[in-house]
Amino acid sequence: MSTDEEHSKDRRKFIRVATIGASAVCGLFPLVSGIPAVFDPVKKGAGKKSSVPWSRVAPLASLPEDGSPAKFEVIQEKVVDAWTTYKDIPVGAVYLTRTNNEVVAFNLKCPHLGCAIDYRKQTKDYFCPCHNSSFALDGSVTTENSPSPRPMDTMETKVEKGQVWIRFEHFRPNVADKIPLS
Amino acid sequence: MKLIFDWLDDRSGYRNLLHEVLYEKVPGGARWRYVWGSCLTFAFFTQVVTGTLLWMFYSPSTQTAWESVYYLQYQVWGGWFLRGVHHYMAQAMIVLLVLHLMQVVIDGAYRAPRELNFWFGAMMMGVTLALSLTGYLLPWDQKGYWATAVATNLMAEVPWIGTAIQKIVVGGVEYGHHTLTRFFALHAGVLPAMLVGLVFVHIYLFRKHGIHVKEPRPKKDSYFWPDQILKDAIACLAVLFAVVALTVYFNGAPLGPPADPANEFPARPEWYFLFLFQLLKYVPAFWGAVIIPAFLVLWIFLQPFIGASRPGHQLNIGFWWTLIAGSVALTLLAFSEDRSNLRHAAALKEADWQAKRVLSIVQEEGIPPAGAVSLLRKDRENRGRNLFAAQCASCHRYNGHDGRGYPVDDTQSAPELAGFASVEWITKLLDHEHYISDEYFGGTDFKNGTMARKVLFKYTSEEKELLPRIAVLLSDMAKLPYQDSLPEKEREELLALFYNDDLVFQDGLACIDCHDIDSEEEGYAPDLTGYGSDEWTVAFIKNPEDERFYGEENDRMPCYGRDSKLTDEEIQILSDWIRASPAN
Repeated sequence: MSTDEEHSKDRRKFIRVATIGASAVCGLFPLVSGIPAVFDPVKKGAGKKSSVPWSRVAPLASLPEDGSPAKFEVIQEKVVDAWTTYKDIPVGAVYLTRTNNEVVAFNLKCPHLGCAIDYRKQTKDYFCPCHNSSFALDGSVTTENSPSPRPMDTMETKVEKGQVWIRFEHFRPNVADKIPLS
Repeated sequence: MKLIFDWLDDRSGYRNLLHEVLYEKVPGGARWRYVWGSCLTFAFFTQVVTGTLLWMFYSPSTQTAWESVYYLQYQVWGGWFLRGVHHYMAQAMIVLLVLHLMQVVIDGAYRAPRELNFWFGAMMMGVTLALSLTGYLLPWDQKGYWATAVATNLMAEVPWIGTAIQKIVVGGVEYGHHTLTRFFALHAGVLPAMLVGLVFVHIYLFRKHGIHVKEPRPKKDSYFWPDQILKDAIACLAVLFAVVALTVYFNGAPLGPPADPANEFPARPEWYFLFLFQLLKYVPAFWGAVIIPAFLVLWIFLQPFIGASRPGHQLNIGFWWTLIAGSVALTLLAFSEDRSNLRHAAALKEADWQAKRVLSIVQEEGIPPAGAVSLLRKDRENRGRNLFAAQCASCHRYNGHDGRGYPVDDTQSAPELAGFASVEWITKLLDHEHYISDEYFGGTDFKNGTMARKVLFKYTSEEKELLPRIAVLLSDMAKLPYQDSLPEKEREELLALFYNDDLVFQDGLACIDCHDIDSEEEGYAPDLTGYGSDEWTVAFIKNPEDERFYGEENDRMPCYGRDSKLTDEEIQILSDWIRASPAN
């Protein structure tokens, strides 16, 4: 092969590589320019554990004394949803049960896949109408092959000046451990 | 790997297709003058991709449009960059459109057999301009709101169906939720879909007739791949570089204060529509909306036929150059008129202030469900300056303007109030020259009052030296948020000065003879107890004719509270605002 031919071959190769390179940069650039923005929610959730605020739920007196559960909305004082800041809006619901002055709070959402759990008065248990998970009054799973991998999710509660307060949280569905969503 | 590609080719025949696409013949070899079409395709591709990503963040309603754009711009990781690229690529697209058009016109590529493709190109230009126009409104900031209102009002100029078109586009008579949902549907759905369809037809027709070769041919024939594609890609990289540079330089696209129909803003379109804006100063709206566009459409339709002959081709080239030169001239004229217009400069500065103000409130309080515009409307600082501009600025000034930065046409006839009751302000007030100047009481009856003629005018130089100390005493009573309080001991000393005879004149007058401080009696002149304090200022604005202040001596100052010209809340806001900051 003569030097001229080799030179020409090298030149063609260079042009080819340069063209593919430049075209690839142009082709990928629009997508790349938006990747940080698209992955923003993942970045925002990573690495920081924000403290869960206390929310006032109900007066202690409004809970049945016999220990049967009652359902309440959880009103949070300040909720930031992307660009909007809401004040005093419902963020979810809980079942509260009372034993003397102790209050237990269960998240309304089923730990299986997040459907809303019903309380069945007649059988005195909790039942998820989506996939038939059932739970005892203490929140434990009652059937052996329950779709739910863990008991109903409890949250921290306190009673102050006759009012029940809770730290309302959601948890990762369908895993055996109770892991708060962040 | 080869097996997979062989299988794919066997099932799809992609290699043939690729060959067809890449090995288009380029007679006369690859040339830079052919790159504009590819650059435009790249620009449009960028807009489609970045636009789709922006879609993930945008919420079209009057309470969420600005807010979601704000969120993207300031809260989302890299959001400003994504938005900036979309914004500046849109502008690059307009420049590329003109370059592509002029290349086609100069090379004569619009003539037979390419007439149809020329018309399709012109249609694409129209769709691109419509995309710019609809995109301008979407952030729902003051600039987009007011400028697009002008554009949609022009639609009503179309005979018979104009108002119907306008209503369809706006989604009713007034700008609102429906305007945004419709503009968004047009911007992100209808118009891009049209453009995609037109691009396919345009490229199909282009491939059918091949590249229009500009003679003489510089080199021997080559193929699209890789020679021409390399040139295209380098040009696209240059466009990309320019867009990224603009985005980084300007920190992304601008975002003005949220749209507010009650808050005036000088409507200006994006720079590439400025020539039309300027033109409308000279011709009736009907010309701008109907006759000129209709003439352009007719010319574009006839252009391939006019250009069939050599003189006709020259005429076409001349037509477009004239059009471009005219547009450039009108654009420059628009810029220079705005630049020499003080009110326009003030309006831009005011919008800038509002944009910064709303950002600082949002960072403190967040955005309520009613939207960011409600924050500005409720903001006491913003209301204060607006109240001053509306109620006070026809006589008073604030740093020489109306409180917001606008120059005032009326002659100043009452004191400058920036830094009101501060040590500097009172020191100047107690100086005869300042007192009788327009900056203080030169425009009022007090210019010839006792204080001017019998007191300040007659001070000896020793007495004048004491006046700044009196100013310190009076200013301390104002308890201005930006001034430190006097130590009690110093205040006592200064009060003694106020009461004793150090400032007595030949005719025996002292401050205390007319003005009171901390006394039950009402003197002849305004009571200076708590002078410039919140309570004093509010009471004064409410009723300057009260015995405590000017009484019957009041010269034109309206009694805003007594005569119910302003509510108590508004007077309080005004007092807070006037007392909030020192003079510039």
